[in-house]
Parts: sequence; structure tokens; C-alpha cells
Amino acid sequence: MVMDIQLASLFTAGALIIIGLYAAIFLDNIVKKVIGLNFIEDGANLFLIALGYKFGGVVPIYLPGMSRSWFYANSAYPLPHALVLTSIVIGASTLAVMLALVMVLYKKYHTLSTKVILGEDHE
Amino acid sequence: MIEYIIMIITIIGAIVTILQRDLLKAAVVSGITGACIAFLYEILLAPDVALTQAIVGAAIVPAFFALAIKKTKRTDD
Amino acid sequence: MNELIPLMVIVPIICALLLNLLHGKDKISRIIALIVAIVIPIIAIVANTGLHYFGGYTPLAFNGTLLGTLPTALANSNIVFFHPAITYSLVAMKKIFIFVLGIVIFLSLFTYFNKYKKISGPFMFLVFMGTAAVSAMLLTDDIFNMYIFFEIAALTQTGIILASDSEGSTETALKYMILGSIGGPILLLGIGFILGAVGSVNISDIVYAIKTNMVDPYSPVLLIGFAMIFFGWLYSSGLPPFNTIKSLIYSKGTPEASAILTTFSVFTMVALGIAMFRIFGYLSVYKIIIILFALLAMVLGVSMAVVQTDFRKMLGFLAVGELGFIALGFGIGTKISMTAGLFQAFNDIVITSLLFIGFGTIYYLTGTSDTRKLGGLISLNPKVAIMLLFGGFALAGVPPFNGFQSKLMLVQSALNAGYPELAIIVVLVSIVVFMTFVKAFHSIYLKPKPENLKFVHKEIPSLAIFSVAILLIICLIVGIYPRIVTYGFAQYLGGLI
Repeated sequence: MVMDIQLASLFTAGALIIIGLYAAIFLDNIVKKVIGLNFIEDGANLFLIALGYKFGGVVPIYLPGMSRSWFYANSAYPLPHALVLTSIVIGASTLAVMLALVMVLYKKYHTLSTKVILGEDHE
Repeated sequence: MIEYIIMIITIIGAIVTILQRDLLKAAVVSGITGACIAFLYEILLAPDVALTQAIVGAAIVPAFFALAIKKTKRTDD
Repeated sequence: MNELIPLMVIVPIICALLLNLLHGKDKISRIIALIVAIVIPIIAIVANTGLHYFGGYTPLAFNGTLLGTLPTALANSNIVFFHPAITYSLVAMKKIFIFVLGIVIFLSLFTYFNKYKKISGPFMFLVFMGTAAVSAMLLTDDIFNMYIFFEIAALTQTGIILASDSEGSTETALKYMILGSIGGPILLLGIGFILGAVGSVNISDIVYAIKTNMVDPYSPVLLIGFAMIFFGWLYSSGLPPFNTIKSLIYSKGTPEASAILTTFSVFTMVALGIAMFRIFGYLSVYKIIIILFALLAMVLGVSMAVVQTDFRKMLGFLAVGELGFIALGFGIGTKISMTAGLFQAFNDIVITSLLFIGFGTIYYLTGTSDTRKLGGLISLNPKVAIMLLFGGFALAGVPPFNGFQSKLMLVQSALNAGYPELAIIVVLVSIVVFMTFVKAFHSIYLKPKPENLKFVHKEIPSLAIFSVAILLIICLIVGIYPRIVTYGFAQYLGGLI
């Protein structure tokens, strides 16, 4: 109504990235930092998908019975979909490795505070 | 119309997640945010990506967080 | 044959999966690892130079049958020259780099096998996966493919530090991963900005679109994309503000692991740096910002190395400072300076691996890396001491080693481009590097031995001496005949500039 879908999605992506950056830099608890990193990646993926949107278009699946030139002119751009599929899986894998490291470090230090775990210089 | 409501729910969900003191509630609300983003992908004409994000962002990643929280601490203090 | 080009990526991946399955069976794992580590440089020499299109999809302009079915609005535009599939390109410069990558991996694994009785399958998996990722980053012509392998390389670097299992390695790995999860999505955002402006992720297409003015070369979208890709480049190569975390990583790993990690960092720096130069080399802000960060890296690296008493940390800071020279070569932007930058990258890989493996023998002997507690080791193993001294000469730029040739080329290019201040800074930093190295060498080898020095092992594994000797011979040969290496670089850059 006020602005079109693509612009509103870009703003949402930007807001998610800013919220994620705040959580990853300024919060003390490590699990909250990891949640913030998850939001940064969600925001980046939403930005990429919003780039491929075509106003009033169709889903880029070619069904039999469509004319080629109408399909070329009206479908959304499918290249960012391929990029985002890979990026979602990479994000989930790095998240899993980070949580595993957090569990190992908790067993050693018995606290989840960043000042204690990552603060001092370990010799 | 409904797209704008979902976008606002996403942003509010993200803010609520990082303000929580109970970490398990934070993991669940981040799952809600992931599901709203999957809905947004469907609106933006990307159904294949919406399926992947729905599974990974709304089911798998909150399960990882819940497992990690169970082995460590429940609250943030 | 062009079909051999993807094999340089596929063969290490298959070997990595095999070695992970064969964890526990020592003899077979060692044989397979060494065979694959020799096969990689052989494929690099045998394969033909050229382009390889995945799936056979050549650009539409070369594919006459498909061109006829398009509507004329598309067939007459510039889009027919775009690449629809992922392309890998192999030129002489990339052959030289992948050759030296194979040599360093082979020698590091050789030393690792000789030191430990039981080898670890997951560690081999990580090393070979990182090798595949880094060679793919150099070979590919598609910037999103580069991002995927950049993420894989970052994950394997974290895994290699974890597998080294020294004091504080888990905390360092977690810190590195948190920074990586900020740097990686910002790089992805930069790629998204360029995709939004140009419409393709293939580097040759982006360069073609900017040159033929299909997009406005000074549009804010492209400039913001450049800033974000530049930030991702800073994270992956260890330039400031990430130099502390990178040097911490080098100091926490076992010596062979650190040699492998420096090689991976130099490769990602060269791959992303050349992509950035091809796309954004026309901007005036490109030169300014890269020269600024290069100077910061050189000065910070060497000034933090001088005050260290732990020789592993000193080596870590020196290795990160050396990357500043490469960035300086990329920043000045003329043909000679880019050749000097690539030559300096080649020399860095050989010299820092030599120093890490060599100093690792001291750590193996005594179990400590604090230079205040060591001394007088020259009477035990004089051969390694002399070879390490020559390695330090090569690092600082003393003739007739290869460090001298590359730094001389760098100084000459800075003078030719009209920046004599940069030449003075390069010479000053090299002098301080030399002084730091000689100070560390004296306190380890030459000063009288303290009484309470205990030895953990009796003598050094002989294969470590063999590895250091081979790397030193490469330094000497390239130092006397630099044309072997720089001919390929200059040929590649002649096509770019």
C-alpha cells in the first residue's frame, strides 16, 4: 500500500542485519551472540532474494504450454535462488560448529560469559 | 496487506529474541522469526528457497539451540 | 585437455573423504595422502591452459543453434556475450601457484608423518578439503563460487586449529568463527550489490559490463559493493583490524599446521585481490584505501613482532606483516607492481613454511617456545641452524635469495609510479624484520645455554631437515633465476591491464 514489496523486504533485511550486528557485538552471553549471527545471515539471504523479485511476475518454473518469450519477460530472476540455497546450508553448518565449541568451553569454564572465556590471554 | 504484517512480526520477533533472559524462550522465538522469513520468501516468488528456509530456520536451528542450552545454562545472568 | 582443470579440485576432495573413512589404518592413509599430495602439482603442470565451462554451456554468442531461437531483442544486445555457466580458467600464473601449494602440502605432511606414530584421519580430511577449497578459489572465474570456497576454507582453518590441541586453541577457534560469521555475510552482501547492479556473477561479465558502460561505473551501488567485498578481503587475509586474531591462530597450531594455514591465507588473499583488481581497478579510491591498509599491516606486524619473547608469536606477527607487502603491490596498480605483488606472494608461501617447520623442530626438542629459557642449541644441530639463518635472510630480503628479488621489484615499481615514500617505508620495514629475526636467532642458538634447559626428545626427525632443505633450495633457485616465475605472472597481467 505505502511502498512496494521489494522495497519493504529490503528494509526488513537491513533491520535484521542491524539487530544481528548489535547482538553479536554488544551482548555478553555467547549463546545470544550466536543467535545474533544467525540473524545477520537471515538478513543477507532475504536481501539476495528480494533482488530477484519482479513486480507482478510468476514463479520461475517453466510449465509446458507457456510461450517462451512471455516466460522470459514475466518470471522472477532465478539466479539469486541458487545462491541463497547454498548460503542457508552453509549458515546452518557454521552455527552447528559454533554451538559445539560453546558446549566444550562451558564444560571447562562453567559460565557462558564472553568476558571470562574470550577475555584473557591464555598461555 | 498480510505481507507487511509478517514483516513487522519478523522485526519485532528479532528484537524480542535478544531481549529475553530465558535462553530457551529466545531459541523458540528465533524459530518464529525463521518461519516468518520463509513466508516472506514465498511472497517474493521463491518457493524452493521457502521450503529450505522453513525446514532449516524454523525446525533445525532452534533444535540446535535447544540442545546447546540443555547442555549448558538455561538463563542469562 | 581442458577436462583436467576441475580435477585439481575433485581429487583432493575425494582423498579427503577417503582418509576420513580410513581413520585408524595408518599405513594405507600415509600412502594415499602422499600420493595425492604429489599428484596435485603434476596435474597442475600437465593440464592445458584455457577455459572450462561446467556443463558445456558456452556463451550464447559462440553457440549458434541456441542463438537462433531467441527473440531478436535479446540476440542483438550485449547479453549474448555473458557466461551462463560457471567457468574455470587456467593460466600459467595459476599453474605456478598450485604447483607450489602441492609442494608445501607434501612437505608438511611428510614432516607430520615422521613426527607422530598415529596420524589423525579428521586432520587429513581438513587439510585436503582446505587444499581443494583454496585451489578452486584461485581457478574460478565466478565470484559466488569464490564465496562458497572461501567459507569452506574458513571452516577448515578453524578445524585445523582445533585439531592442533594446544593451550587455548578452542577459545581462539571460537573467536575466529565469530569474526568469520560477521565477515562472510558482509562479503555476500557485497556480491549481492554487484549482482543487483550488473545482473551476473561471472567476473569476466562484470568487467565487460563496466567497460562497455552497460552500468554506470561510478554508481553508489558499485561503490558500496566494493566496500563490502574489501571488508571480506581484510578478514580472510589477516590485514588490520584482523591481524591480531590471525597471528594468534598461527601461534596456536602445531608447526606443520601453521605452515599449511599461512599458505591458505596467502591463496585467499591473492584470489580475492585479483578479482577486486579486475573489477574495481579503475577507481581512484581503490588505490588509496589498499595502500593505506597495506602500510598499516606492514608497520603493525613488524612493530608487534619486535617486542615478543615467544618465537611462535613473533613468527605469527612477521607472517602477517609480510602480507602487507603483497597488498602494497596490488594497491599501486601498475603492471610491474602487480607482478611484484604476485612474486612476493609466491615467496611468502615458501619462506614462511620453511620458517614454521624449522622453528617447529626447536619446539619439538625442548617443549617450550619462550626465548628467554632457550639458548646454545647450535652445538646440537648446526645444520638446521644454518638453514634457518638463510631462511631469515630470505625473509628480510638479502641477496641472493628470492626475498631480495621480489622486494627489489616492489621498490622499483613504487619509484616508477611516483611514490618514493612507499619505497622508503618498504626498505625500513625490511630492516626491522631482519633485526627481529637476528635477535630471535641469537637468543635461541647463539647465547650460552641456561642450566635448567630440559629436553623432551633427544633429536630432531630427519625428515624435518629434508623438508627445510628442499624449501631452501627452491628459495635459492628462484632467487638466482626469477624469470622462471615472473614470466608467467607478467604474461597473465599483460592480458589484464
